[in-house]
Amino acid sequence: MNQQLAGYAPTPVAARMENHGRAMLKVAMASGQDLFARTGSMVAYEGFIQYEPNPPAIRQLASQWVTGEGAPLMKCSGDGLLYLADYGADVVVINLDNDAISVNGTNLLACDAHLQFGVERVKGLAKFTGQGLWNVQIGGTGWVALTSRGTPVVVDCGRGEDETYVDPDALVAWSPTLKVKGKRSFKASSLIGRGSGEAYQMAFSGQGIVVVQPSEDSTDRLRARG
Amino acid sequence: MAREFQRGHKAKVSDLTAGTDLYVGVQISGPGLTFDISCFGLDADERLSDDRYFVFFNQPKSPEESIQLLGAQAGDTESFRVTLDRVPDAVHKLSFTAALDGAGQMSQIGPGYIRIVAGGEEVVRYSFTGSEFSTERAVMLGDFYRKDVWRFAAVGQGFDGGLEALLKNFGGEVAEEEQPAPQQAGVQPPAFAPPAQSTPPPAFGVPAAPQEPQPSPPPQAPQPAPSFGAPPAPSVPGPAPASPVSPAQPVHAAPTLAAPVAPAPSGGTVPPPAPSPYGQPPHGAYGQPAPAAYGQPAPAPYGQQPPGAYGQPVPAPYGRQPPVPPHQGAPTGAPMGVPQGAPPGGGGLQAALQPYKELPTGQRWTAQNGQLVRVDLGTDGTPVLARQGSMVMYQGKVDFGYKGAGFTGRIVGNATGQEMQLMRCTGRGQVFLAEEGAHLHPVELQGDGICVSAENVLAFDESLTYEVRRIEGHGIPGGALFTMLFQGTGTVVVKTHGTPVVLPVTPTTFADSNAVVAWSAAAQVIISSQVRLRRNAYPGHSGETVNLQFRGAPGNFIVVQPYEV
Repeated sequence: MNQQLAGYAPTPVAARMENHGRAMLKVAMASGQDLFARTGSMVAYEGFIQYEPNPPAIRQLASQWVTGEGAPLMKCSGDGLLYLADYGADVVVINLDNDAISVNGTNLLACDAHLQFGVERVKGLAKFTGQGLWNVQIGGTGWVALTSRGTPVVVDCGRGEDETYVDPDALVAWSPTLKVKGKRSFKASSLIGRGSGEAYQMAFSGQGIVVVQPSEDSTDRLRARG
Repeated sequence: MAREFQRGHKAKVSDLTAGTDLYVGVQISGPGLTFDISCFGLDADERLSDDRYFVFFNQPKSPEESIQLLGAQAGDTESFRVTLDRVPDAVHKLSFTAALDGAGQMSQIGPGYIRIVAGGEEVVRYSFTGSEFSTERAVMLGDFYRKDVWRFAAVGQGFDGGLEALLKNFGGEVAEEEQPAPQQAGVQPPAFAPPAQSTPPPAFGVPAAPQEPQPSPPPQAPQPAPSFGAPPAPSVPGPAPASPVSPAQPVHAAPTLAAPVAPAPSGGTVPPPAPSPYGQPPHGAYGQPAPAAYGQPAPAPYGQQPPGAYGQPVPAPYGRQPPVPPHQGAPTGAPMGVPQGAPPGGGGLQAALQPYKELPTGQRWTAQNGQLVRVDLGTDGTPVLARQGSMVMYQGKVDFGYKGAGFTGRIVGNATGQEMQLMRCTGRGQVFLAEEGAHLHPVELQGDGICVSAENVLAFDESLTYEVRRIEGHGIPGGALFTMLFQGTGTVVVKTHGTPVVLPVTPTTFADSNAVVAWSAAAQVIISSQVRLRRNAYPGHSGETVNLQFRGAPGNFIVVQPYEV
């Protein structure tokens, strides 16, 4: 029986964060190297790991978040291996090397606690799209893991002269250097029930990248579970 | 991310994965063909000096179980488990081969691959198709070989003579002595020809399952049994006696490489793989001078990391590592001091996202990845019709407009359920289309037609004509089934839930009407009458409701998704 499953044994630890398969994240934890992870994303762990929901550091950042549910991140500390997943979504591991990236709140799975961390509310119209209400800008040197429903695509905005327009429900992350604005594409005709289904996009311009998932399902499964 | 290898590509196993407990899957198939897929453990002279390292269906594992045959699973025709650090030193090369059993030649095979999976993730895939071969009857697919460290090479070399030629290539005398008699016994061709051709209906209808295996084992049994069962002792006296005494011996007998760590793995030679990968890294990383300890695949990542991590101008977060050692006594074997350095591909945002980069432009329709297609509206003026809301991103000046079905279209759509909520994309630029992470398959039509269920259409060129087609049949709830027929020249993007199967249309091809997604328009569809229709009293009926049977000339196909809508 074990033979058939042998291919799924964890590989030796080679880095702080690694993919185990496409949908699971393996984090090697050590004391002193804390981790912020989405509340409820832990699927397994080995070793001694403690979880602190609603950590003060995040709570302060999140004080302006309108939701009264508390912060959607928990602090993990201890020694061992931690496995995280978000309902089968693809996990993308990024090793920031003095870079910065803005991540849609629902698509952030985990990040090193020592990274600079800025929470911003989504401005403008995007908040009406049913999207999460917060973005996280992460910078510094360390590890970040994102989730994407399906294999994501990374588009370089600086390539063409035109702006890049993204469906907010499919947006995963982008370079903070990009200029963002909302774009309404509905016309008068769409108000009488004949829309193209694409009412609102976010427009990015400047030099940088945009990460997009092949799904318009931006439901926050971890939070919806309650 | 799996790396795609081409014929002749080579890489260190340690560059592919840090693991040494690998799963090797081979997928090879062809209509009416059966294959013997085997692994040869060869010595430094590329000879099969020890027959116990010829792992095939009659000998499913090597003595110390470093090579095990696992059978068909997970879409692979055959699969192996290979524990590289337990392969004895005498074995320098593991060659994975596929040989035709019975009539046929390699040019008849469909697309296949050999792949390596480690830690639940596919790390390498070498794909091949029958067009790369001609009259060969066997093919060497890929090799693990020792050159300082274990490496993997995609070989793809064919052999005219089949399994016996392979054996001659590797084993020389061993094979020649007894091979000719059983191999050419002529048992196989006659045994195979009749069931395949003379009476197709009976062969397929019921006895398909029993009959296939039956002809094959008899011819196979005699051929390998004499050649491998008996000869090993006389032909290769040298290594043969040495190893059987104690299978673990080779591991210890080679103190050169694995000396410091050897106690750990070999003490655990017997137990399954699970504990070893986890238990090892800490030892390797801190317990000992890391690089020397492994000597094999693992050291590369470990050896490199400290320099990588400290050499770069970012030591700040790592200053915390020293306090770790106090915990060394932790019984769980928790990794002490997490390797923090850059991943193998290099650090930084760009490197991490490199695998997901946009593919170079050029064609009108590009499958960006399995779940995302890009259409370039600039190349010609034809607008694209896409399902409403399926746009995830666009660049350039693109206008999205409502596409009505027209009066008759709405009447027909309402009546048949084959209604599409479409939008028209016009202008200049690139549009990325996706929906709910469904798998997307651009199908290019060149004057031919394809039938697709309306809910499985994501987008198509406006140059195509489409109409609702009716499949009549008795016993269908509602009286008939409907589907969309696309014809003309252009591309249709078909979406499926999960990886679909594309079946050639044979005299006996059936599909669940809820799971079938598309079929080539030249195939004729009839309702299978063998299926009993019954609804249970409680809501939600169980069982198969309506099955469709397909008929058509060779070359027709149907697409079925693993999801019953």
